[in-house]
Amino acid sequence: MAELWEVLSEHFPEFSTGFWVTVRLVAISFVIAMIVGTAVAALRIAPLKPLNWIGGLYVELFRNTPLLVLLFISFAGLRRAGLAVDAWVAGPASLGLYTAAYVAEALRSGVFAVGKGQIDAALSLGLDYPRTMRYVILPQAFRTVIPHLGSLIIAMIKNSAIVGVSLLALPDLLHQARLVNSRTFATHEAFFWAAAGYLVLTLLATVAVRRLEARYAIHR
Amino acid sequence: MGYLFDPQNWEWLTTGNNLRFLLEGFLVNLQIAAIAIVFSLIFGLLLALARLARLRPLSIATGVWIDIWRNLPLIFIILYLALALPAPWKDFYESNVPGFFPEALQSGRVFAGILALVLYNSAVIAEIMRAGILSLDRGQREAAASLGLTYPQQLRYVILPQGLRRMVPATVSQLITLNKDTTLVSIIAIQEVMRHGRILTSGFEVFTGGGVEAPLLQVFIFIGALFVVTNYTLSRLSRRLEIRERKRTGGTAGPVIGLEDQTALAVETR
Repeated sequence: MAELWEVLSEHFPEFSTGFWVTVRLVAISFVIAMIVGTAVAALRIAPLKPLNWIGGLYVELFRNTPLLVLLFISFAGLRRAGLAVDAWVAGPASLGLYTAAYVAEALRSGVFAVGKGQIDAALSLGLDYPRTMRYVILPQAFRTVIPHLGSLIIAMIKNSAIVGVSLLALPDLLHQARLVNSRTFATHEAFFWAAAGYLVLTLLATVAVRRLEARYAIHR
Repeated sequence: MGYLFDPQNWEWLTTGNNLRFLLEGFLVNLQIAAIAIVFSLIFGLLLALARLARLRPLSIATGVWIDIWRNLPLIFIILYLALALPAPWKDFYESNVPGFFPEALQSGRVFAGILALVLYNSAVIAEIMRAGILSLDRGQREAAASLGLTYPQQLRYVILPQGLRRMVPATVSQLITLNKDTTLVSIIAIQEVMRHGRILTSGFEVFTGGGVEAPLLQVFIFIGALFVVTNYTLSRLSRRLEIRERKRTGGTAGPVIGLEDQTALAVETR
């Protein structure tokens, strides 16, 4: 028990760096996932077949490819091809584009939940398609899918650990725990504190989403 | 773009036994996934039932167990078990693993990998199944009880068939995630498709059987394509089964939880 605290106090800087790298990684990736995911969802429900098809292709490609493969392609693959991509670009881009496929599916289900009557009403008021999207459908769709987006953020926190152990070697929480482990051989202690860090993050995300849900969610 | 589609950069696929080497690696992933799926479904169901048990301490303890495992990164669990699993456990696996398993699955590390996959996925699946069972109308259970069915009979004939059927789409999408997650065991040096891909692109001719050195970008795009084809086929198959099933059972789906289920319904009712 004493050793548990000793490992934390002696290696606090390492764990602290790791924690904030994970937070930053998730935050940047989430912004990318939301922007790209919204765009893909808009493509999927656009009133034009070729656009639907492109959106569907994006979702199937990114949802069915392992994140580790995306990281290999975006970092090492492009590097070998002569395009040097920074780890801080390749990491958030891979995690963001991967999660965007899930965000797009969530938003699409939210849009279907809004109901056809609303869309017809908006169109008959003379709003064009982009405006109907912007002012009528998307605001409601976002609010309907808050619980889904919450579970996607939690999945993202967990998936961010893959970035740290891959070739990119960003010093995230899991990466730092392995570093402490290799220096001290205190495997259980080092991994205990990393687990605590991840559980704190997922717990905070759960609480935050529940708050948002209570305030904004539409129950159908 | 020119680089990506340059035929010269795809030559590796047809030279030597590169393609065979990659597919052999991919087969290891599929085998690990198959083993992990079977155990995750079994333990997931047991955990869901324990979570729903009327015995409070059992229900609470199971809830804590489920919440811990499903909120930790899978790669974290894999790495921890690979380092911390007691040696006797690995030895036990090594001396009891069926002989017909491929060489890559004979090592004790594989046990750590599969155990991690099962710990994580059984917790996730338990939550999915629990949601399915809870979404059933209370009347079903009460009717079964008033017909004189015992608790196990209620589960077997009334609650589980309806509750679990409802959660098939969510479960399948989790199993697809599991299939993708088998690539993570490459981190603990299990010789599966990611490792084979890296060997092909490492420039050591001994491994490639005299083929040309393979460009990394193309090799990993090909590996990604293997997963896309497999997982897409799986999800189509389950969707088709589900729609057929829904037609057969009259299509009253009730409240549905889970993203896949919602989208499936939305598409159907469009």
